[in-house]
Amino acid sequence: MTMQPASFSGGWTGFHVNGDGATANATIADLTSILDTVEVPIVVLRRDLTMAGFNRTAADVLGLLLSDIGRVSRDIPAFAGSPRLEQLCREAITGGVESRVDFRDEDTWFVVRISPYARGSGQVTGAVLTFTDVTAFRASIDQAIYERECTKAILNTVAEPLVVLSADQRIQSGNRAFYTMFGVSRDDTQESSLYELGNGAFDHAPLRRQIRKMLAGSHVFQPIEVDHVVTAQGERTLILDSSPLSFPGHSERRVLVTFQDITARKQAEAAKDLRSEEELRRSEAVLAWGQRLSSTGSFSWKVASGEVRWSEQLYRIYEVEPGTPMTLDVMRARVHPEDLSLLEKTAEQARDGMNDFEWQYRLLMPDRSIKYLHTVAHATRDQDGQPEYIAAVQDVTVRRESEEALAKARSDLATVTRVATLGVLTASIAHEVNQPLSGIITNAGTCLRMLDASPPNLEGARDTARRTIRDGNRASDVIARLRALFRQDELTLESLDLNEVTREVVTLSLSDLRRNRVALQWELAEDLPAVTADRIQLQQVISNLLRNASDAMADVHDRPRHVLIRTEPEDRDRVRVSVRDAGVGVDPQNMKKLLDAFFTTKSDGMGIGLSISRSIIERHHGRLWAEPNDGPGATFSFSIPSDPAMLPDTPPQWGYS
Amino acid sequence: MTGNPSLVSVVDDDESVRESLPDLLRLFGFAAEAFSSAEAFLESDVVDETSCLLLDIAMPGMSGPDLQQELKRRRHTIPIVFITAHGDGALRPALLAHGAVECLFKPFSEAALLDAVKTALRRPDYPPAGAT
Repeated sequence: MTMQPASFSGGWTGFHVNGDGATANATIADLTSILDTVEVPIVVLRRDLTMAGFNRTAADVLGLLLSDIGRVSRDIPAFAGSPRLEQLCREAITGGVESRVDFRDEDTWFVVRISPYARGSGQVTGAVLTFTDVTAFRASIDQAIYERECTKAILNTVAEPLVVLSADQRIQSGNRAFYTMFGVSRDDTQESSLYELGNGAFDHAPLRRQIRKMLAGSHVFQPIEVDHVVTAQGERTLILDSSPLSFPGHSERRVLVTFQDITARKQAEAAKDLRSEEELRRSEAVLAWGQRLSSTGSFSWKVASGEVRWSEQLYRIYEVEPGTPMTLDVMRARVHPEDLSLLEKTAEQARDGMNDFEWQYRLLMPDRSIKYLHTVAHATRDQDGQPEYIAAVQDVTVRRESEEALAKARSDLATVTRVATLGVLTASIAHEVNQPLSGIITNAGTCLRMLDASPPNLEGARDTARRTIRDGNRASDVIARLRALFRQDELTLESLDLNEVTREVVTLSLSDLRRNRVALQWELAEDLPAVTADRIQLQQVISNLLRNASDAMADVHDRPRHVLIRTEPEDRDRVRVSVRDAGVGVDPQNMKKLLDAFFTTKSDGMGIGLSISRSIIERHHGRLWAEPNDGPGATFSFSIPSDPAMLPDTPPQWGYS
Repeated sequence: MTGNPSLVSVVDDDESVRESLPDLLRLFGFAAEAFSSAEAFLESDVVDETSCLLLDIAMPGMSGPDLQQELKRRRHTIPIVFITAHGDGALRPALLAHGAVECLFKPFSEAALLDAVKTALRRPDYPPAGAT
């Protein structure tokens, strides 16, 4: 409203006060003064709606002028735009009805109370209008309405259903999502119980208890997952959460309940669980099949706790009921008796030092069949940092058997070749010797006949005798050539570690020995001096001694077929290699003949091996000998000087013990 | 034995056989000629006159059995006694089946030699053409 000068005071006309004039005037003056101090605009209209008077505040606030007195209200600018006010004033004057009306003067809102004004006689002579400024009040209500609308909009925009419960746990209001979710209208649910919703899904004790506590003042609510809630979209799984709604000065508490639909998440999780379960199951199946196809089992072994876990395939390999707790004892029952000490030793070593290891051993199955296993173990640590072995165990029986069959075939072939070679050699020797022998016999016969003739043909006899001698020499030459054949021409000398040479031979002979069920042990001296010798030839000798030892035990069935191969320094400058068997031994009578060529006690031997061995050792200025053991079997040994070149060129030594 | 003695030819690459056998054969009363190879025998002029052939099996060039085949081809029916230093008895039945009279393994005795030569000379198809 426009500013009015502060000095402007209200204007009053036509007031009549009973009593004498002076007193009345004084009274009127007092009253108008009092009215002027009231901060509420007061306006008085006459019956004809002309302005009768107004107080000072009305002049200030509504911009009334003294000149407005006597004017019809609609002509007064402040009231000009308010026909409703005029109407109500008329009704008050004519009907004596008091009323209220909102009235706006520019930015200021008033509630105008319109009261009929009556003089003492009771006849209504006008209307009194009192203006109460409600601008601030209205603004706050507007604000409240605005806030409420905003909140409503927000709540309705929120996708999550919400509902407010009253103190008696009845539904007061929900947001749009709430009504949509449950497929109900506001009216349907007003004052209904939460526990009737969703086909009674929420009606369970923990939820009731928590909401009751919250209404009683608690601020704590443990979200509750509720399954099988019947909603407009079918059965859902919801998580209910709640928080208290309380207002200062309001004793009534309400609670807000929110519903979070986790059905999709649950389904996804379930699907994922199912999927990962399926994936796990599949990869386990693949692993199991892989293990099965490759005949490879696996196990883990927590060293500290002794906990052992076996794969299904490993149980299958061991032919033990899957799930049987695996202990060393269970393994012991299967491991081949001859490999038991190896098992113990390996287990001990594995326990002592956490190193990767690899070992081969055999199983003796209940049906007496043998399985060959190859184990590769990796030392690692489990989740708790404890030492653990992870191992793969492969059943190499088939491979092993085919290897052995191959080795046997190879060895058989070698034997055949050897025999065939020897056969050819023998035939050739026979041919070479038979030719001169034939000459000798024929000539000798001819010679005899010539001498027996009469007269004796002495000249012819001499010739034939000479030819006999010549043929005898021819035969002798043949034998000399044969000797040369057995002797190799050149020694290829190099500095050798006899232990290494021995190991090489052992490696090459292992499959042969194994096939003949020979258990080989070796004791190789650590301080063995190097020798200057021909590697290949010494290998032939050692190999020959090993084969002899193995052959000597072919018919041994009542005791282990042990062979001990040993290297040791002898004297100061010699090295000895001995091979001790547990075979049939050597008859002392034969001991001496043993090393002669073509002497053999073997049914399938040619008796050449030891002879060749001896000639090789002799060429190394060494000696080869045999001696009976205290127990069963014999020991064949040779010793050679570490450096033959340092020796005087002595004739070969022949030694027999 | 009357008239010309039967000719026994020896074919062997081994010199001591060629030297010793003819002497012994002559002492037995046969005529004897020695050849160092099958080819030399075939080229000689005694093929038709030979009553018995002492034939080595294994020789450089044409072998004993080769010569046997060649003679058959030329329709010579000389009885053949094989002599061999290869003491392989397995060969004997095959050689006999192919018409050999005998197979002697070196060294053989005088008696075995004489038996074999006599057997050869008694063969029904003996004497060969040209012999008297």
